[in-house]
Amino acid sequence: MTLLSRKCVPYTPLDRDLAKCTIALVTAAGVHRVDQEPFNIADDLGDLTFRAIGGDAAISDLMVTHHHYDHGDADRDINVVFPLELLRELATEGVIGQVAREHVGYMGYTMQLKLMYEQTAPSIAEYIDKKGKADAVILTGG
Amino acid sequence: MRGIPTVLITVSPEVSAQMRPPRAISPKGFRIGNSLGKPGMRQLQKKVLRDAIATLAAPARPGEVIEIAYPEYGE
Repeated sequence: MTLLSRKCVPYTPLDRDLAKCTIALVTAAGVHRVDQEPFNIADDLGDLTFRAIGGDAAISDLMVTHHHYDHGDADRDINVVFPLELLRELATEGVIGQVAREHVGYMGYTMQLKLMYEQTAPSIAEYIDKKGKADAVILTGG
Repeated sequence: MRGIPTVLITVSPEVSAQMRPPRAISPKGFRIGNSLGKPGMRQLQKKVLRDAIATLAAPARPGEVIEIAYPEYGE
């Protein structure tokens, strides 16, 4: 039997047209800039930190550190897990308003679920709200 | 803090459904590591991204993971 979360679904309505929305990406796929500290894959407990990625980041400056999925395809084309380049195209085409100034990558593997839920996730949300100024967020995993 | 609307793109729909996400799409049959498609499949990747974005403004189905077929993904 599948166990469903008994927490209230945190649904927030969208209050404006998509064409006026600023959109951010948040990925659990272990994406970060090549000049940032890689996620800690040596710790069996996982890594609770996240990395900020600017909306103008060059795709060639991004990489993946994650040891719980095969990221060979993402190494060849980061858009398969972190479609920042495509989001920029959609902004140019007017499908969305704009790409957020800041996006977030973290490694979606941890044995410290309580800390992830109570500390990392709210920190990411606050960062996306305050620094990214995002009206909506697209979440991806590995 | 105000809430921020989110939409999840998941290739593990059974796992994601357990958390009852506010909005989620799942490209049917995509492998782990291929959330938006395979490398170089730009049009497909963009289609998945557009579908995710459209879900932000679609009628509410909170807690449900919506499966979408993209035959161009292949095996």
